[in-house]
Amino acid sequence: MALTVDPPLYRADLTLTQVNKDITAAIFRRPNAYWFVGMCISLSCLCIGAVVVWIQLHVGMGLLGLKRPGMWGTYIVDFVFWVGIAHAGTLISAILFLFRQRWRTAINRSAEAMTIFAVMCAGLFPLLHIGRTLIAYWLIPYPNSRHLWVNFRSPLIWDVFAVSTYTIISLLFWYQGMIPDLATVRDMHPKPFARKVYGIFSQRWKGTARDWHHYEAAYGLFAAIATPLVLSVHSVVSSDFAVSSVPGWHDTIFPPYFVAGAIFSGFAMVITVLTVVRKAFNLEDYLTIDHMELMAKIILATSMIVSYGYIVEVFMAWYSENPVENHVYIWIRFFGPYLWAGWTITFCNCIAPLIFWFRFARRNMVILFITSIIINIGMWFERYVIIVTSLSQDFIPTNWRYFAPTIYDVGTFIGSLGLFFTMFMLFARFVPVIAISEVKSVLRNPVGEPAALEKTHA
Amino acid sequence: MPSNYRPPAVLALFLDPQKLLDAVKTVKEKGYRGLDAYTPYPVHGLPEALGLKISWMPRVTKTAFFVGATLGFTFEAWTMAWAWPLNIAGKPFVSVPAYMPVTFESGILIAGISTFIAVMIAARLRPAPDFHNIDASITNDRFGLYVPVRPYESGNVQTLLKELGAEEVRDLA
Repeated sequence: MALTVDPPLYRADLTLTQVNKDITAAIFRRPNAYWFVGMCISLSCLCIGAVVVWIQLHVGMGLLGLKRPGMWGTYIVDFVFWVGIAHAGTLISAILFLFRQRWRTAINRSAEAMTIFAVMCAGLFPLLHIGRTLIAYWLIPYPNSRHLWVNFRSPLIWDVFAVSTYTIISLLFWYQGMIPDLATVRDMHPKPFARKVYGIFSQRWKGTARDWHHYEAAYGLFAAIATPLVLSVHSVVSSDFAVSSVPGWHDTIFPPYFVAGAIFSGFAMVITVLTVVRKAFNLEDYLTIDHMELMAKIILATSMIVSYGYIVEVFMAWYSENPVENHVYIWIRFFGPYLWAGWTITFCNCIAPLIFWFRFARRNMVILFITSIIINIGMWFERYVIIVTSLSQDFIPTNWRYFAPTIYDVGTFIGSLGLFFTMFMLFARFVPVIAISEVKSVLRNPVGEPAALEKTHA
Repeated sequence: MPSNYRPPAVLALFLDPQKLLDAVKTVKEKGYRGLDAYTPYPVHGLPEALGLKISWMPRVTKTAFFVGATLGFTFEAWTMAWAWPLNIAGKPFVSVPAYMPVTFESGILIAGISTFIAVMIAARLRPAPDFHNIDASITNDRFGLYVPVRPYESGNVQTLLKELGAEEVRDLA
């Protein structure tokens, strides 16, 4: 099983100084052509998104494919998709830390960065989707002249709290883990102005035993609170659907099935991004093929859970002999108007990842990259299937309508991709993409446990 | 505020964390107190060797979690059942199961923010554009041992630390 494998992590001849040099190289030299090309593409996507959003704010929600009865469309799909992507980062930084998986040290920093950028993208969609974005602050319970409060018995407000808590905690966890590495850059940087900037962000970090002692305790505690948090966030997101009485949504399997799907899609995105990062910044010695293989194993495991979820949904619909459930789960999704979507997700999420049963596929960057893209697409369509198909044929057949997204639906999604990758490119340029101090501790201490764990448990 | 006064002390830089651990033990046995170590990453066993107490972070997190969760629940109950009770789909005004997600998230939020602030206080962290560490190689590959001394002892301690395998020994008076 993936969680018990202990591969030799790094080349035996790596020294501490070499680690410093290799990981911070991207900060000190001019970025290469890959970086500039990537930045151009992501910025263009971001601009497309900005224009589309501006037009949509100006003209109104009618530009989207939202028509009765399908009043939740691709914006909600995009929201769930991005929140799902975010979850892999917290899984790597918190859950794998508690399981003492030392291989996480190479990938946790960039995965946590992905978490934060993905949550930023996710947060964008509900704000636009409420239609009156100017008064989005009504979602916050504050004393107001209307004397009204938000409805705490509604899953939609749970979502506001879950996602905003998740954003803040991820940001603090990420930043706290980064302080020693920013201090490394501060101590290495030749330029006085940059030294000052890194000095501000590295918060006077000295690296004394006392500081590390508290730092490690806090790191363990952050992991301990982030673990239930990440499980709660996607469970709450799934409650947006599961608590309603819409056939296709009203399902007790949703919370675990959504969480597994989130981790599945998140790891696919981690592989997609790290494939590019390790090439563009020459970090093959740190983001080794062994790391990729371990992530492929997690993808395989979560793919199995997701497939099980699909099978249970269909089985329950058939076994219940409930005509409405049968209609939604079996007819609409697999044989009716949305059969293309049903079979797309079956192929992308259940069949394509099966290639990771083979060792050569787990250790081949091309296969890994292509499969991860397929999974990303599949997981977007999974949410499309859940949200759009269930609504498009409601209880009154005269209302039934086939959902068709417009160019504005597509444009906003492209914009969110642009935002995500622009943020990631900037992150990779100015911050060490790998947790230097954690890699060092694994390097010099190959059999030791992370010291924080014992203390937190004591 | 940066002050020019520094208590007399000796700083020894090691290349091997194991040597640092041994040195801590020896120097302690000789009766020196108030030792501190500077390391590029958390060294296993160092807090024990230096005799540091268990960190007070867990108490902060635990307390903050319960305070936050209590506040969250109370606020929900107050707004829903007292400030303006609205009958929504016949749900009870104080609906404990429906209150749980926000109660939990408030607890986590307050716990996380408090833990972060506690680290900032414990490690005396604050933005410092002109900060220079005691030695720039600490964040690279050196493991420093800081020994406060009386001025007349400095020479002896320096010799001792060199014998213990320090690459470089410096008087910080």
